[in-house]
Amino acid sequence: MILPLLPLSHIFLGLAAIAWKRSARVTLLVALFLDVGLVAVAFSPAAHLLSPIAAGGWTDAIGIRLALDPLALDFLLLTVLLESAVVVYLWRQRLRSTFVILLQFLVGAVIALVLTQDLFNTYVILELLTLVSFLLVAHDRRTLQIWASLKYLILASVGMSIFLLGVGIVYANVGSLGLAAVARAVAESPNAGWIPLAAALLVAGVSVKAGILTFSLWLPDAHSAAPAAISALLSGLVIKMGVVVLIRLSGVFPLCTILQILGAVTGIGGAIYAMSSKDLKRMLAFHTLSQIGYLLIGIGAASDLAANGVLAYALAHGSFKALLFLAAGAAYDAVGSTDIAELIRSRHRIPLRTRAALLLGTLAIVGLPPFDGYIAKAPLLAAAHGWANQIVLLLVGIGTAASFAKLLPLFRGPYRRVGADPAWWSYVVLALPIVLFLPIERALFGAAFVRPVMNWLIAVESVAVVATGWLVHRIHRRLAVRAPEGLFRLEPGMFAILAGFVTIYVLLRLG
Amino acid sequence: MDWLNGTTIAMLLFAIGATALIVRKDLVVKLLALGLVNSSGILFLISIRFRPEMEAPILPTRAGMPIADPLPQALVLSAIVINFAILALSLVFVMLLVERYHSTDCGRIEHAVEVDRAAPESRSAREDESASRQDEEAR
Repeated sequence: MILPLLPLSHIFLGLAAIAWKRSARVTLLVALFLDVGLVAVAFSPAAHLLSPIAAGGWTDAIGIRLALDPLALDFLLLTVLLESAVVVYLWRQRLRSTFVILLQFLVGAVIALVLTQDLFNTYVILELLTLVSFLLVAHDRRTLQIWASLKYLILASVGMSIFLLGVGIVYANVGSLGLAAVARAVAESPNAGWIPLAAALLVAGVSVKAGILTFSLWLPDAHSAAPAAISALLSGLVIKMGVVVLIRLSGVFPLCTILQILGAVTGIGGAIYAMSSKDLKRMLAFHTLSQIGYLLIGIGAASDLAANGVLAYALAHGSFKALLFLAAGAAYDAVGSTDIAELIRSRHRIPLRTRAALLLGTLAIVGLPPFDGYIAKAPLLAAAHGWANQIVLLLVGIGTAASFAKLLPLFRGPYRRVGADPAWWSYVVLALPIVLFLPIERALFGAAFVRPVMNWLIAVESVAVVATGWLVHRIHRRLAVRAPEGLFRLEPGMFAILAGFVTIYVLLRLG
Repeated sequence: MDWLNGTTIAMLLFAIGATALIVRKDLVVKLLALGLVNSSGILFLISIRFRPEMEAPILPTRAGMPIADPLPQALVLSAIVINFAILALSLVFVMLLVERYHSTDCGRIEHAVEVDRAAPESRSAREDESASRQDEEAR
């Protein structure tokens, strides 16, 4: 009974913030308490209150079914984590009420997407997410932001049109939009002619939103131009919503191979661009791409361990990417630039706590034990089968370490107290899961999940990957290779979506 | 002319719109093309599960006639509203860009933005901007 009210409560709180502009801040806190309460109920004996429901009392065939399954619960945890970090971050700042309203809508839409089991409902919520993040990216009205978010809106809208065509083909052939019914129809006649086309349309459409190369060429601009809190939410949370849809689709259509190919392209492409990126926020944005590659390879591996690894890695990535983006925002406030060379030159002006947060985020993202990057990555490494996947995972790891090696001089002395860091308490919120990830994961996924983490071979491998990455960084700095940036304009982005769709269709056709 | 049904026209609209999005340089034309692409999705949804002899699913006037599936037609309403919102908002943003760059040419705007990114605005310029925003709020 309660499930449909959860996303709606955020929308209502957003509307309340319109009505009483002075209380906008309070609505953020109320929403946070609601979400924390929801997670608490889901883990308590009262969890039956959150039983699945088809909204409006329709049958499952045409009604919209909402369910709080393990996948939804994991992403709900991520939502609550990032929401609390952002609310803490924004608490001391001057807020415009429009910002608060959009933030409420964003979180509400995220919760709705995580819960829904219906294809058309997914389409509507993805579009709502596009619109809200479009407005949030450009909230400061700087020209860079306006252009980045316009590009995002156009490309995402084309992607969603492709998704809608896929939804239409599914409905024409199945007569229902519920994921369970579609899965049954696909299982009954796995060789039906409509399946490759529908799957290609749906995957290509959602890939535009999910940060997958070559569909999401809007991402580096949008994520690096947005205000710090919004970058953290977009990279940590919103981009994962595309991944959620892909996980759900992979349970319906046979997508393993195609997801592994997309994962390899995304992971390696993102890492190469991150290595040659000279701007901190842009580098973080490219890293979001490469980490999405990890998730895709995990989804494609299609085992229980890999599936749990994907959920864990999504949670871990949300925590350290949000930490890094918030710290990058604080560094920008102190220095007035996010250029890495400039940051290193003026490192004495960056507050110590900001530098500590950047260091913690770096250690976590390159996958050094005992932080959450490693703990979440170990099951993925253990579950990836085939030498091709192993090599891709290693290459992405090396690329990650090589690009973050650029930040190392930032952590050299002098260590003097300069100014306060406005984001300190949100660092604390985000550092909790980074440091205490093992017990959280054991509680969520059981002891079998923890076994690869304790495997010393994987630990040695991770450390070796980081060391290799540092070497690659030294070589790469000598060579000074730049990857072409012209790719991230509007027209190549548009072309890449269409070309990518055709490629996926051909690959699915061939099997 | 049997092939000329809603589905094929939708495909045609999508192809025209997508081509124009890549080929045409003017941002307003690009948005019109985006409108075409979005409309193609709507037309496609309406025309699946519909044959010319079917009745509209409102109130059957002729007894015994097959009725078109009402669900896609209900879905289309949300899609139309979303597409309207997207076009309206993106036109507003194009207006903002035109105010700053006095051009709707996509290549020119992109070039100007890239120049801006390479040479970030000076500190004082940013402070001016935040001051003007505070004025705006005070008003």
